[in-house]
Amino acid sequence: MFLYECSFGLLGLLEREPSHGYDLKRDYDAYFGRDKPLPFGQVYATLARPARDGKVTPGEVEPGAGPERKRYAITEVGRSEVEEWLTEPVEPEPHLQTVLFVKVVLALMLGRSAERYLDTQRSAHLQRMRELTELKRSGSLVDALLADHGLFHLEADLRWIGLTSARLGALAEAVQS
Amino acid sequence: MIRLALRLTLNGGREAAVRLAVTSAAVALGVGLLLVAPAGMNALNAQNARTAWLNSGPLPGIVNAPGSPLRGHSTSSAKPLWWLLRTDHFGNQTIYQVDVAATGPGSPVPSGIPRLPGPGQFYASPALSRLLWSTPANELTDRFPGHQIGIIGPTALPSPSSLIIVVGDSAQQLSKVPGAAQITSINTNANIGGIAGGFHTSMLQTILAVGVLALLLPVLVFIGTAARLAAARREQRFAAMRLVGATPRQIAVISTVEASIAALCGVAIGFGLFYGIRPALTNVAFTGQRFAPGDLSLGPIDVVVVAIGVPIAAAVSARFAMRRALISPLGVSRRVTPPAPRAYRLAPLVAGIGELVYFVVVGHPKSTGGQTWAYLSGGFLIIAGLVVAGPWLTMVGARSTARRAQRPAALLAGRRLADNPSGAFRTISGLIIALFAASASVGVLTTILAYGGTAKGGTVASETLLEELGHVASVGVNGHRPPATATTTTKTAVPPALLGELASIPNVRGATVVYSEPGAGQDSSAGLVLCSQLAHTPAIGTCAAGADIGRLSGLNPFPSGQHPTLSEHVWPAVDITPQQLRDLSPRAIVVQTNGSTAALERARTDLEVAFPDQQQTPATFGEIDASDRRTITEVQQIAHVVIVASLIIAGCSLAVSVTAGISDRKRPFSLLRLAGAPLRVLRRMVVLEAAVPLLVISVFSAGLGFLAAGLFLSSQLGYSLRPPGIDYYLLVLGGIVASLAIIASTLPLIERIAGPEVARNE
Amino acid sequence: MSATRPPARVERREALVEARDVRLSFGATPALRGASLAVARGEILAVMGPSGSGKSTLLHCLAGILVPDSGEIVFAGQRVDTLGEEDRSTLRREHFGFVFQFGQLVPELTAEENVALPLLLGGARRAKALGEARRWFDELDLEGLGGRRSGELSGGQAQRVALARGLVAHPQVLFADEPTGSLESLNGEHVMDLLVAAARQQGTTVVVVTHEPRVAAYADREIVVRDGKVTSLSADPVPS
Repeated sequence: MFLYECSFGLLGLLEREPSHGYDLKRDYDAYFGRDKPLPFGQVYATLARPARDGKVTPGEVEPGAGPERKRYAITEVGRSEVEEWLTEPVEPEPHLQTVLFVKVVLALMLGRSAERYLDTQRSAHLQRMRELTELKRSGSLVDALLADHGLFHLEADLRWIGLTSARLGALAEAVQS
Repeated sequence: MIRLALRLTLNGGREAAVRLAVTSAAVALGVGLLLVAPAGMNALNAQNARTAWLNSGPLPGIVNAPGSPLRGHSTSSAKPLWWLLRTDHFGNQTIYQVDVAATGPGSPVPSGIPRLPGPGQFYASPALSRLLWSTPANELTDRFPGHQIGIIGPTALPSPSSLIIVVGDSAQQLSKVPGAAQITSINTNANIGGIAGGFHTSMLQTILAVGVLALLLPVLVFIGTAARLAAARREQRFAAMRLVGATPRQIAVISTVEASIAALCGVAIGFGLFYGIRPALTNVAFTGQRFAPGDLSLGPIDVVVVAIGVPIAAAVSARFAMRRALISPLGVSRRVTPPAPRAYRLAPLVAGIGELVYFVVVGHPKSTGGQTWAYLSGGFLIIAGLVVAGPWLTMVGARSTARRAQRPAALLAGRRLADNPSGAFRTISGLIIALFAASASVGVLTTILAYGGTAKGGTVASETLLEELGHVASVGVNGHRPPATATTTTKTAVPPALLGELASIPNVRGATVVYSEPGAGQDSSAGLVLCSQLAHTPAIGTCAAGADIGRLSGLNPFPSGQHPTLSEHVWPAVDITPQQLRDLSPRAIVVQTNGSTAALERARTDLEVAFPDQQQTPATFGEIDASDRRTITEVQQIAHVVIVASLIIAGCSLAVSVTAGISDRKRPFSLLRLAGAPLRVLRRMVVLEAAVPLLVISVFSAGLGFLAAGLFLSSQLGYSLRPPGIDYYLLVLGGIVASLAIIASTLPLIERIAGPEVARNE
Repeated sequence: MSATRPPARVERREALVEARDVRLSFGATPALRGASLAVARGEILAVMGPSGSGKSTLLHCLAGILVPDSGEIVFAGQRVDTLGEEDRSTLRREHFGFVFQFGQLVPELTAEENVALPLLLGGARRAKALGEARRWFDELDLEGLGGRRSGELSGGQAQRVALARGLVAHPQVLFADEPTGSLESLNGEHVMDLLVAAARQQGTTVVVVTHEPRVAAYADREIVVRDGKVTSLSADPVPS
């Protein structure tokens, strides 16, 4: 899963502008990887697959030594895949804060409507909560306990979504500068 | 719906019960007052009806030649009755003496006595009978010739404490007394003026009506304050009902029922209050004499009107109030600050003052009706103007207080007052109106009394007897100066033994005979005295040094304006001999005592025995004064009662309002305390909120009252305002201090109410 | 009690309560700036949004408590915003029920009388109204509390009394504004459970204003009000 989000994170950054591997890692760390800086090797490894699938092009090698001098750029295919990933809601499971976070920042960075995305996510969360609530009411007490656990975490996400929604203006400024 | 309303009103918890109780009490006060008005009227009428027979004789001050009937239509062949009414005094009470003499069988007989007394007989009222028995003969009984044959019945007594005596005489004896007249029937018309009642009464009735109305204002304010109790709770209740779909009309019905129930309770209590207070009220001598026990009665119409009218009025006014205040289903959640009062509120006040000033400049209207209209309208404009301008004044004062506030209490109080000045003013409005009325009436009365002059030589007034001889009195009853008539009288001689006898009474300082000036006309008030006698009666002045005979210019003891009191006069000498003096006809005797009742009454009795056929009985200067000023004194009495009562009522209103204000603000107070405000800041805040408008506007309204009084006096009577006596200041100070005490007494409530537990999130 | 849920895929149902381009301002402050909403018969709708967004005001307009400055409110095909104060009050009494967060019970009346209030206002006999009211006390776990005044009830009990009152007249729509706002979790859940169960059983339409997702999760559908407008994708009864 980490690989998954990591690769979309890099793709998204590439959509913003073509970059060298070094710059990509630096940007990724700055926006997404505060606690866990990305090892250099991981960048290239992560990009290898999309490169193979035609979503990114390695580009011409600049004069100089070393693989880090490769300049990556995103392709149309890659672009549409990022688009799809952004607009699709994430499965409402607990512990998806990182994905949400990446999505929102990227959306802002790329000038998309983060608002709309948040709304869609909220609907999905609420739908899941509805299912869990139904489960709670008709199931056994143990089921109810489990459902409550899920509900509380989903609620926590929704609170974050609500807060972020209110902050989008300021956040957009910070990200796009 | 009505059942629901009843349920809410009667069983609605402690707050609703308190509200019901206070509102009922306020209505009860109002009802009691309302009942006093017709009862008082009835009492005055009843008393007046019993007084009518005393006024069967001619109008005061008009002397008819003996033999000319003035009153009563000549009926059949009934023989006319000789009749003479005189007022006498004992101590500080008045005795009415009626001398009657029949000319034949069938002469009219006054009610209350079975038959006319013959010569040497008299009937006395119960009170006078007791007095005759208990007083030494030489002080009282000797005045009346003959013996008592019976007691005058209650139908002829204006008051149970009336002192009346009907003395029998022979016709030829009585016909010679100046002032006696023949009448053919006993007067039953209560509206005719006379010595005892009549015009006087209708003025009293007007004053009674005005007094009751003046008291009704603070009562109405009190009722309004009571109706506002638990307002927040009621609004919450109505909002909840509106939410579930109660129509505004249904809410109005509930509110009307609430008001009606309070009114009904109030009416019941009010009637009880009235009947409870009736005995005390009966004994208060509004007219100078107290009422008979049954006088303060209520006619059936009075009862019905009040018993039905008050609840109806309450219901109607509740409906009207509801119409204006539409309760939103969302209740008190959204509190809108009421708009601030604007400066144009001063307009009616300025208009009222302007009207009075106009009359000063232009002069008062000619007719009595015009005057009444002018001053009443000016007065009402000012009172209404005071009520309308009050909130604006409060707001202005509050804003400046807040601006200049150094400490938190003043800031809090100032801002809160400025936020809702109407509410703050409403609390004290009753008091303000009472103070205005008090100041205005005291100003007017004090000035009138000052200008009328009083024999405030103090003791001189009550020490010195004056007996006018022969002529009609130069200072008449009720201040009327009687027109001169062509009556001639025989010269009254002073019995030689009289002066010696007077001098022998212990505590009598002396007696002076005043002789008519030779050649002076009937109208002249001058007289000649022997200086050696005058030396013993310094109350009427002293002779010039070395004179034997002095000339008095007059015997009017009441200085007005610039005239010095009688005792300060030094009379000039006259060049005649004492022998020549004694040949002149005496016109008056003045006896000066030390003021003790025994000496005074003995001297009076001696004088009356010596001169039985005078129209005026011997009277002290004080008594003559008193009868002139009876009306004004009574008005003053009523005014004092009204003022005290209205201050009390306004005080109750203030107490209720301040308490309600504190309990309504439980939560804000607790929160303030939790935030660290010490209790003393809260206390100071409450005191400032109530005391500052109270003091400022009190001073303003008292000043306004004096201004109005001054303008009225100036335009109507040409007087300039005199400062009031010490009792006014005491009264006002007392009222304000009592109000402050009431405010202070509610302070412990803050501590109890504003505990931190109230701020719990409920 | 058994809970019947509406079918997952719905056909187009006609709207029972509708708001069309409603605008309302309090003095100079605009609260609703063209909000539109349709609620289908029998559905449970959650109205969410940040504080100050105007969601309560929208509810008040739908329920005939406030009259919008412009726009239409339609209930069962009839215009509500053009009715007078008396008629709207009667409408509330006969067709709507209310469960608010605070201050909705009459302090002077007992719990029973509070529940019976809508019936009493409608002219029902006292005995009959109280009898109806008492039926709800058992249903909502309020046994024995009928004689208490509202000040003597706990928060949860008071809300259940309010719920009983809201349902006693078998309303067509139940309007709830933060019904669990002042209750802690267990009490709040209890109230919502009972509310939804009763509504489903009687086919009552419910409009719930809430900012809590766990309360909104009891509803079939939610909409979001933001800055006086309804901005959610699913403003239409037919999910897209």
